[in-house]
Amino acid sequence: MTELRIAAVGDIHLGEDVRGQYRKHLEGIEERADVFMLTGDLTRHGTLEEGRLVAEELRGLPVPTIAVLGNHDYHSDLQYEIAAALRDAGVIVLHDDGVVIQCGEVKLGVAGGKGFGGGYAGKCASEFGEREIKNFVAHTRYIAEAWKVALKEMTADLKVVLSHYSPVKETLEGEPHEIYPFLGSYLLAEAVDTAGADLILHGHAHKGSEKGMTPGGIRVRNVALPVIGRAYAVYCLGENGHC
Amino acid sequence: MEAPQYVAARVQAALAEDGRTHELGIRVDIRGDQLFLRGQVSGAEQRERLGLVAHEAAPDLRVHNEIMVVEVADAGEDEHLD
Repeated sequence: MTELRIAAVGDIHLGEDVRGQYRKHLEGIEERADVFMLTGDLTRHGTLEEGRLVAEELRGLPVPTIAVLGNHDYHSDLQYEIAAALRDAGVIVLHDDGVVIQCGEVKLGVAGGKGFGGGYAGKCASEFGEREIKNFVAHTRYIAEAWKVALKEMTADLKVVLSHYSPVKETLEGEPHEIYPFLGSYLLAEAVDTAGADLILHGHAHKGSEKGMTPGGIRVRNVALPVIGRAYAVYCLGENGHC
Repeated sequence: MEAPQYVAARVQAALAEDGRTHELGIRVDIRGDQLFLRGQVSGAEQRERLGLVAHEAAPDLRVHNEIMVVEVADAGEDEHLD
């Protein structure tokens, strides 16, 4: 197995006023990376017009492109239509499932979806009390279980998890502590630690920090555009991590 | 007189919920009759819309729009996860 170069970004929040501007930065991406991954919040308001605009920005890229959606992409209740527009443009869109693709000599498994909130171990919501709280936590628990199953079922040389919400607190440093429960959940990390993966990528926390790790030792990277400050970050995975 | 904390919360909610903006994570500070907006957005028009929505939500305050537009740089150095 050789190494794999992953270009990743989230929270590009494209709208009509910036049409074409992000695409410029993707010129030559095939020289830098073997695969491109997007961690959600591709639109601002989750309208179909914005979804189609994003699809056009990503259409026909020379490397496989895999995306999940974020909370902004769900805002207009058109997440499935947006996902369909992206798929029409050749983007693989994950909704709490997984895919295995061949990247050169590497069989790459990618699992994930939007993720959700709830907070972190010791300071989180529980499935107790009002139905609304139970539904909130159960939604995250359902997602985490789906990711665990997807990861366990795939056979691949390398496994990457794509999420919008964060599985760990470390990559939220810089955000107000009071909103941590709305930025992610430890249940996501617990599921991935149980099933095993080589890297977790997420976005959502614009004021957070780039680097973190799950309790099980899996590297986590917050690739929200305001955090990485560039069109995409590139991570090299493999036996030696050399590109 | 309405407490400034409640006005700031109302403006922040407007920025998140108004169909023109839908922007989370913008910091709203009020000092006397002045309102300060801070944060990052992806385009100059979005910054202007946020200033407009904030002004509509708190018309008696002077809005200082200190929101930054994220400058997207080309991809930089790779990270080797070995």
